[in-house]
Amino acid sequence: MDIKDFIAPFAVWKRAFEKPFTVKKPIDERPGAPRYRGFHINDAERCVGCGTCEAICMNKAIDLVPVEGREAKEGDSGLRPRVDYGRCCWCALCVDICPSGSLNMSNEYLWIDSDPDVFRYTPGVDKKPWDGAELGYRRAEGYRLLDEQRVPMAELGHREAVKSFLELVQGYSRAQAEKEADRCVSCGLCIASCPAHMDIPGYIKAVREGDLDTGLRLLYETNPFPEACGRICTHLCEGACSIGTGGDPVAIRWLKRYIADQVELSAYAKALPRAEPSVGKKVAVVGAGPGGLSAAYYLALLGYEVKVYEKDGEAGGMLRYGIPEYRLPYPALDKDIGYIESLGVTIKRGVAIGKDLSLSDLRRDYHAVYLSTGLPVAYGLEVPGDKHPRVLDGVAVLAAATRGEELGLGKRVAVIGGGNVAMDAARTALRHGAAVDILYRRREEDMPADADEIREAKAEGARLIEKSIPVEVKDAAGALAGKAALFVWNEAEMVQKEEGKRPVPEAIPGALREELYDSIIAAIGQGPDLSYVTEEDGVPMKRFKPLVDARGMASPGASPKGGAIFAGGDLVNDRKDAISAIADGHRAALSIDRHLSGKGA
Amino acid sequence: MNELATRLAARYGARGWHDQRADLATIVLDADRLRDALAYLRDQEGYRHLSFATAIDNIERGVFTLVYTLRSHDKGHSLIVHADIDRQKPVVDSIHLLWAQAWTYQREMKEWYGIDFPGSPRVDEEFVLEGWEGPPMMRRDFDSLAYSDATYAERPGRATSDPARHMKEQLYPEAAE
Repeated sequence: MDIKDFIAPFAVWKRAFEKPFTVKKPIDERPGAPRYRGFHINDAERCVGCGTCEAICMNKAIDLVPVEGREAKEGDSGLRPRVDYGRCCWCALCVDICPSGSLNMSNEYLWIDSDPDVFRYTPGVDKKPWDGAELGYRRAEGYRLLDEQRVPMAELGHREAVKSFLELVQGYSRAQAEKEADRCVSCGLCIASCPAHMDIPGYIKAVREGDLDTGLRLLYETNPFPEACGRICTHLCEGACSIGTGGDPVAIRWLKRYIADQVELSAYAKALPRAEPSVGKKVAVVGAGPGGLSAAYYLALLGYEVKVYEKDGEAGGMLRYGIPEYRLPYPALDKDIGYIESLGVTIKRGVAIGKDLSLSDLRRDYHAVYLSTGLPVAYGLEVPGDKHPRVLDGVAVLAAATRGEELGLGKRVAVIGGGNVAMDAARTALRHGAAVDILYRRREEDMPADADEIREAKAEGARLIEKSIPVEVKDAAGALAGKAALFVWNEAEMVQKEEGKRPVPEAIPGALREELYDSIIAAIGQGPDLSYVTEEDGVPMKRFKPLVDARGMASPGASPKGGAIFAGGDLVNDRKDAISAIADGHRAALSIDRHLSGKGA
Repeated sequence: MNELATRLAARYGARGWHDQRADLATIVLDADRLRDALAYLRDQEGYRHLSFATAIDNIERGVFTLVYTLRSHDKGHSLIVHADIDRQKPVVDSIHLLWAQAWTYQREMKEWYGIDFPGSPRVDEEFVLEGWEGPPMMRRDFDSLAYSDATYAERPGRATSDPARHMKEQLYPEAAE
């Protein structure tokens, strides 16, 4: 026998005080693996109730349910997913797809109860011991079922852009549009945020499936200006997009444009509904902007004879005279308007109500009148010297640019204001070769203009002077008198005057600045021109706005005095954008139909 | 390792050697050479340990891919052998005579994918799915929802809401249809 055989048994003693490899029984704790797929957890604050988890679940284990104390709001349905563990197979696709990343799984897998109905709960709402678990299944870093980035849009470079009025945004190709449409999960959170409540998931699906006729038909159900809105819409929908909670929102506006761009005007009639047979009634619309023409379109579809009165030489309103052609080229706008006219809508261009015809004439000759005259009158600077000949009005400058007139802005231009009109005026001046300063009384983040517009105006070379309160316009001295003006402003600081309200600019004593400009463009807001409405029309007013009821009706009217008056658009609503005017026009058309046909009145 | 790849290619038509890591490689074989090649790897090349066997349903290509993980403890190297079999005729040689424990994996694959290993002990017995009468559930064309609907009663009290419709009811019920 070998000596080793005696020693070996004692050798194991050297391990006597080490941690044993064996497991102690009974086992009290059985933690799941760190990435174990256990019961769901959901960050109910981050969740937007889009239902993508429900849609992807192979076993229909997830329901979207209303939750007490959680209301629907912009970009959040207020619903939350409830999981039925009688159906769940723990595949975690719901976690992998969740756009916001709010839905995850804990590594808890032990839960014993004799009541089968408890195994159905709303994570993050019904309290559970594993809420907030650090461990459990999470989407792996860099692993996304949804594309976080939108398909990039080709745009003119800023250097190139300021040389001409060429359209900046070049539009998607078919491959790009279908790829972008593929990012949409059809949750429909966007619909509520759109003033016109367009069927956005519907038309994106049509893009995905290459069925553009269906896409166009869905667009026209709620919006007869797809070419215009596909370019310049304020796209509130994109702010509500669930995909935007974990990446770029779907490029809804560009997809709308893609549909309208792809279908030839001559092919519209094939895709879109025909007008109903004539009902033998006439409606007049005052103002051929997007709101007035929308009302005209839907009224024509319903069988009304519609005449639109437009004071300017061309139809389109602010879309034509306010928005420069590098954002909305005239042929695109003409396509939208052309289709509306092809339905038999007559547009009387160059006829001003209150001058060439009176509102009471219209009330006498028509069964109803829709007022959609917008906000054509620019506010003045209201500082000493603001009547100087070099102080121009932003809306007038943009309209003159549209009419192709010589603007004669000069080399140094100041634009006063922070809205979209200010940005458009600044960028128009840049395209005429001027050096442009934008002066705004608050900070950049307070500017009401779209963020894109501000960013692009700056990128194209406009200088932004924030916190500048206009004080005075002084005539230039010497040879420049009457040809240039000194703009005087007071530097300001932002002061929080009232808790919870936005801070206000307050002039810093003595901090006066002045600069010499060839033109000073005031773009600080616009008001309505309601001089054509007389007392006998019976339109109630409040703060220079016609007061309308939920149907858009301003004055019921009664024969023989005349037809009812409806009003909408910028003239009435607070949003003051094209899509809201379009929504108002659509609503007014339906209300006028109900009113005149006696349906549901 | 490339010498081994060459030898396997020459003897068994193996192809597609791919180094996954320094100590892990994959290779592809025809299924009818599988048992011979595994025997060779075990007896001549030192891959004596069958550490794992499973299958992948590559439904797009109409095949099940069998996966055998072998380990050579001398070389400190693992080799994964892949072999496709027709999804319509899922039968393959049993290797339980090479590695006795293989029958367990094979019984599992029979139950989960419906892949048959003729001669493998107890291959037709239930593995983990007691009382299962449906189609093999790891096949990717197994419709778990249709199976659940057909097999189990609907639980009362379930209801769901469509986000867009719910938001309309809550936020703008006045909108015209």
